[in-house]
Amino acid sequence: MRRQPEMAEVDRTEYVFGENGGLGAPSSSFFRRIASMAPQPSDEDESDTFQRTVGAGYTYADQIAPNKIKRTKSRQDKHKGRRGSYFDLDDDWDANVEHNLVDGAKFKKSLAGQAMESAESLAFAECEEMNNRISRIRRFQAVLDAPIVDLAHLKKLSYTGVPEELRPKTWQLLLGYLAPNGERRERTLAKKRQEYHNGVQQVFNTGLDEQMWHQISIDVPRTNPHIKLYSHPIIQKALERILYLWAIRHPASGYVQGINDLVTPFIQTFLQPHVEHASVDDLDPETVPQQSMRDIEADAYWCLTKLLDGIQDNYIHAQPGIHKQVAQLQDLCTRLDRNLVEHLRSEGIEFMQFSFRWMNCLLMREVPMGCTIRIWDTYISEGPQGFSAFHVYVCAAFLNYWKEQIKVKDFQDIMVFLQALPTADWTEKEVELILSEAFLFQTLYKTGSAHLK
Amino acid sequence: MADEYDFLFKIVLIGDSGVGKSNILGRFTRNEFNLESKSTIGVEFATRTVTVDGKVIKAQIWDTAGQERYRAITAAYYRGAVGALLMYDISKPETYEGVNRWLNELREHAVSQIVIMLVGNKCDLKHLRAVSTDEARQFAEEKKLLFIETSALDATNVELAFQNILTEIYRQHAEQTTLQADFAQIKPSQGQTISFTQQPDESKSSCC
Repeated sequence: MRRQPEMAEVDRTEYVFGENGGLGAPSSSFFRRIASMAPQPSDEDESDTFQRTVGAGYTYADQIAPNKIKRTKSRQDKHKGRRGSYFDLDDDWDANVEHNLVDGAKFKKSLAGQAMESAESLAFAECEEMNNRISRIRRFQAVLDAPIVDLAHLKKLSYTGVPEELRPKTWQLLLGYLAPNGERRERTLAKKRQEYHNGVQQVFNTGLDEQMWHQISIDVPRTNPHIKLYSHPIIQKALERILYLWAIRHPASGYVQGINDLVTPFIQTFLQPHVEHASVDDLDPETVPQQSMRDIEADAYWCLTKLLDGIQDNYIHAQPGIHKQVAQLQDLCTRLDRNLVEHLRSEGIEFMQFSFRWMNCLLMREVPMGCTIRIWDTYISEGPQGFSAFHVYVCAAFLNYWKEQIKVKDFQDIMVFLQALPTADWTEKEVELILSEAFLFQTLYKTGSAHLK
Repeated sequence: MADEYDFLFKIVLIGDSGVGKSNILGRFTRNEFNLESKSTIGVEFATRTVTVDGKVIKAQIWDTAGQERYRAITAAYYRGAVGALLMYDISKPETYEGVNRWLNELREHAVSQIVIMLVGNKCDLKHLRAVSTDEARQFAEEKKLLFIETSALDATNVELAFQNILTEIYRQHAEQTTLQADFAQIKPSQGQTISFTQQPDESKSSCC
């Protein structure tokens, strides 16, 4: 308890991890919520209340914070407020976390004196949630730190979401970009990054493919225009290089509109370790060291390449992959809810009209960025089939989610509705509902439908 | 709004990528211009109802992706379309040069009577103009297309463009109907006359 003033001072800038792989709430707001549960003394200022409440009820912070405080402080000194590279994230505190888990029962007991039953159970739930999250990070860390990463185990863990701070490394491993063997990892990584930059130099030094370049250069400024990060020239230039190199190296498809969208979850995820509290959406890329930016660009290129390797048919001439998936979606939806499909049919709506984009952009145009990233945790852990076969089940669950609204609308209203679904406020919670339903559909229908492979 | 109309006309928006197809649609159907618009993937849809010669006409407009790769999917939407706005960007000559390719696409996939309007968009970019109005107008005359220059940004001629093409479609339709049955009170139209200078008959847009 002696630590409280120091902890309060530092921990306001720390985050309390959310259970589902998100950054979670800033700890200050968590504390404030805890604080609001306690009887409010009338004339005290907020910080006073804050400290007192923490002292009274928050044994958890007391136990876990000292380590984190130390870490954060030293980092802040070293990196002028920026977090270090994700590769060394957390390795200095993880080992102790095990012993620092909150004793939920004790915590509950310590609150018992306060006559606020609901508040008590809420706080208890939050405490449990944090425990889950911490033990989850610990499980990931154990797999990631092994001399040779057990990819099967990592896949299994990642299926239900990857903790944000471990996402870059996890994605890169599961996509087959990072070597599972820790000894070789750094060397091959450096080689790959260099290879990318050499490739860029090469394609830009030999006459541009004007048509391809034109399409990329008009699409880059239209990439995630609602997110500030993507309006910055540093990011736009990086996107141009990534897309152009990929297009030149994959002449069967070349650049196809929508692929620009698919790079951005990688950019977003790999930049995350460089963001302190705010959202990566508002990050000023000039605050990221140039070398890190170069590395992120190369990593994003290679990960995009791995992703697109599995769905090439979506982007080659006539886009047969998409046509196949749309047909599969319709077939699956007919099994799930014949009435819905019949209603769409009777209104003259074709699946192609609304689900083409779902396939072409992997639902990225339909849900917020954070949701896409969470979906990709699962897709990436599914392996090569994640972005194709499993995606169809996800699209079926997604359509199914709106079925009651759709069933009472006519042609025009359905089209307009499906083009701009009300998902702006969606969080991982909604997405996880969709994913688990998709998993269920897959379990139910996969064996009986070999054609969905 | 009561969804009642006399005629339903399906229109497609085509043209090279980045010429402003989605924004002209946004301007016409929602009176919006979106500086932060994303590229269109596949096809998007919107409607608006206007009045032509006292008849309520519902325009069902399909906005298509401009990139070559999407032709296979977008061409499916030409079926049943009675009108097409073929757009280019007056500041980008290559988008004007692409017009012939689009005409071929229409010839191949759309009905022969489809009414086509050549639309030079972004006419607010006066200092960047690279395609002259006269040249485009002359080309339109040769090809028997309606012609207009618009700006989705400042709304210049957007209403007029749609009003003109819908009027033309309606009149052709009425003419045909007159030939088939006794369709009283409909004046014969000027046929395929290039009517970019011709104002629609005092008709006003009625809603949205």
